[in-house]
Amino acid sequence: MELSAFIAVLTGGLVLGVLYSLMAFGLALVWTTLGIFNFAHGAFIVLGAYIAWQIGNPDAFGLGFLVSAVVTVIAMFVIGVIFQFLLVKPFERKPNIVLLTVITTLAGATVLINLINVMWGPRSKQIVLPASGDLSLGLFRITANEGLMVLIVTLTLATLGWFLLKTPLGRSMRAVAQNREAAQLMGLNVPLLYAATFGLAAALAGLAGVFIGSIRFMTPNMGDDPLQKALVVVILGGVARFTSPIYAAFLVGIIEAFSTYAVGLYWTPAVLFVLMIAVLVVKPEGLFGRRERSV
Amino acid sequence: MRYDPPFHRTKGLWPTIILVAAAALAPLFIHEAYTRHLLVLAFIYAIVASSWDLSLGFGGLFNFAHGALFAVGLYVFALTAKFLGISPWFAILLGGLAAVCLAVAIALPVLRLDGVYVILVTVAVSQLLYQITVSQSQFTGGTSGIASLPGLKLGTYPFLRDGKIGYYYTALALLVVSTVFLHVVIRSRLGRAAIALRDNKFYAISRGVSEARTRTLTLAASAFFTGLAGGFYGSYVRVASPDVYGTGFLTTILSILLVGGAATLWGPIVAAFAITFLSEALVNLGPWREIIMGMIIILVVVFYPGGLWAAIQELREKLDALKSSSVSSWRRWSGKRSREALMGGARETYLATRHGSIAISDSGTDGPALLLIHGNSACKEAFSRQFRSLKDSYRLLAFDLPGHGVSSNADPETTYNVVGYAEVAEEVLKACGVSEAFVFGWSLGGYVALEVAARGEIGILGLAIAGTSPLTVVPDDFAAGYNADSHLVLGGKQYFTSEEARAYAGSATAPKGPESAFMHRNLPRTDGRARVYMMTKLQTINWPRQMNRLWSNAFPFAIINGADDPFLNHDYIRRLSGSEGWPHRLVEIENGKHAPFFNKPEAFEAALRDIFRTAAGRSPE
Repeated sequence: MELSAFIAVLTGGLVLGVLYSLMAFGLALVWTTLGIFNFAHGAFIVLGAYIAWQIGNPDAFGLGFLVSAVVTVIAMFVIGVIFQFLLVKPFERKPNIVLLTVITTLAGATVLINLINVMWGPRSKQIVLPASGDLSLGLFRITANEGLMVLIVTLTLATLGWFLLKTPLGRSMRAVAQNREAAQLMGLNVPLLYAATFGLAAALAGLAGVFIGSIRFMTPNMGDDPLQKALVVVILGGVARFTSPIYAAFLVGIIEAFSTYAVGLYWTPAVLFVLMIAVLVVKPEGLFGRRERSV
Repeated sequence: MRYDPPFHRTKGLWPTIILVAAAALAPLFIHEAYTRHLLVLAFIYAIVASSWDLSLGFGGLFNFAHGALFAVGLYVFALTAKFLGISPWFAILLGGLAAVCLAVAIALPVLRLDGVYVILVTVAVSQLLYQITVSQSQFTGGTSGIASLPGLKLGTYPFLRDGKIGYYYTALALLVVSTVFLHVVIRSRLGRAAIALRDNKFYAISRGVSEARTRTLTLAASAFFTGLAGGFYGSYVRVASPDVYGTGFLTTILSILLVGGAATLWGPIVAAFAITFLSEALVNLGPWREIIMGMIIILVVVFYPGGLWAAIQELREKLDALKSSSVSSWRRWSGKRSREALMGGARETYLATRHGSIAISDSGTDGPALLLIHGNSACKEAFSRQFRSLKDSYRLLAFDLPGHGVSSNADPETTYNVVGYAEVAEEVLKACGVSEAFVFGWSLGGYVALEVAARGEIGILGLAIAGTSPLTVVPDDFAAGYNADSHLVLGGKQYFTSEEARAYAGSATAPKGPESAFMHRNLPRTDGRARVYMMTKLQTINWPRQMNRLWSNAFPFAIINGADDPFLNHDYIRRLSGSEGWPHRLVEIENGKHAPFFNKPEAFEAALRDIFRTAAGRSPE
């Protein structure tokens, strides 16, 4: 493998890692806080992409990329809160909440995907990004669109980190995630924080959808692949700290890039799933995790 | 938590035989090939869903690779039958065996994990298999699958002929065999071990259940017929497509399982037909079909987490409660005079308590008050002979327990338990202006009487019980104090068949005759929930407090049992009475049964008078 090829593959992996960290962050947030796995996360990504297309694309409302991204994030937050209220909240405190919410989120995802199909039709679409051309930094070369994505995602994650670490609301969210009972005893409004967390996760998924819709063609069924990638990332990284999925996202991105280079596109998902099963069996709490929450 | 009675109301094998016969005769009336096709699909779905229920519902193992087991059966059939050219029948069997092998392989990671991690690892396994299947396109045809698979034949007769009649009966036979297999497995040692692991893993392990072996065998047992169904499906639709790995197929099966009711054998089988035909009815709606199906799943899970099975049970409970309460209202209105005549002219009045409206019989005669408390599923008229013969010496009081006789039904959670009944007894006595009383309790009423004494709200002049074993530790003493026979089971059973009602009333009082007809007529009026909740909540009573009051000789007390009471463990009571320092008498009425005051009234009344006369010599507490 030549150096330039190596650098190109590495760059591709890092860009993927940025995207994956955005996709996995919301999933991990919901898992740590609410103790459930949201199988509608992929559907949220798709819905975000379609909302952004509707708002921003010249063929539709044509309000431009930035407006569409902001509207998508806000709309997805609201949708996430409603989704949590309808499909997750009824099962809180039930002993089999894990199974029940797997079922309701799967069914909810089916409903969302088919509603998207009804509203926008099955034909593929693409979001037009404002930037064009290539950027290069030494040996690293990426397209300007990818550069924009890296920039926005980095800013978003940094803001999120600041939000979770420094602001009262973010700290309350982490408190609820760490110990629901104690947080409630301290007077935190747990139902509100649960709803906010779910909404935040949906908003992040929507933002991820905006980027996926711009680098790939979007169809109503495109959510399965992001969901699986997000699952792999969250399992690999664990959820001990909110940064662990980010490390894992880069790891998965780089593994995927090199695996595609080495064994081809078809075998790459298999490699990732074997890795995921191995981690689940050997270290279920994740590579970067202490065992904190057994659900 | 509800107590789940060990015997459900059953009509034996008849419903099953009728259903199978109906399914077997259906092709005579259904000639349309498409309807038969839907029925075959429903049979296949029923096999897959009910097999999944074994691991998911009964075993509590969230094996989301169940669709992959089906897919493996399908692909093994396709590859061996098409490319190796072996007999399709044998290839179907190979599909089943391959699924079992896969299930054992899945069991290895599953054994180390719990809860959501099991879901994740099985989702990963099934995605991995999907990726492998798709990537080996030179064998499996990639995403487009394998077409024109060999169909089933018997001799030279292809099953496609005569409107797919051969496939119809093969699918039906497969479903019947699979259901019998599941029925046997669920009731076997393995099934009970799997249920025990699901309900309380650590307790089950500590009682010697091997988690590894049970989980592996459960998965393997759930896999075999799923794999067979997969192979059969391949021979039927003659295409193996990787769609069966996807969430669509999994969601369909899961919806059948949940709508039918997890951890029930029949729920998923019935739901398979409902969902298949519903889904077919919506086929013209395009994407709206998926939306409606998704909504149905969500609504069922939100409102009936136990599935339609639970919904039917709930409806039945409501109907039964409605029936019993309307019978009670009708009788309160229609039979009052004959009841008063039966009770020696004692007036029947109704008292509004916080446990509902309670019917009271009060002889109103002079003398100390004697409260008589009846037993499970009986009524105050059980004491009709005492009301006639003791009314000159005592002011006799009796009332129908809530949910019994002509008292109204009440809230099951708060009322239908011994403590609730004791509160009713206190309210009744206070309303009658009685602050000190002799109390006699029969069977369940014995515990109510003991609880009234233990609570100390009412002064006890003397207390006697019949057909009741005083307990200290529940459930251990409960098991020791009674003969574990069908009567004990019926005592906590919600719905009675007519035979069960006859058996219960007959053994509790007397076989049906002119004297006992009233009791027999009253039994079906009893709110079935009263029996279930009373049994379930036995453990909430402060039993040691009752026993301490007896040991401390706080009031005169005696046990009057029929010597032939078939339900009591007489040794337990004799041992208790013979213990060092036990200050109370034990009277055994010769030839007396569970209700000695009913079948040996003279001897019983003599004993009761004797005990209470001695008691009157002592000053009450």
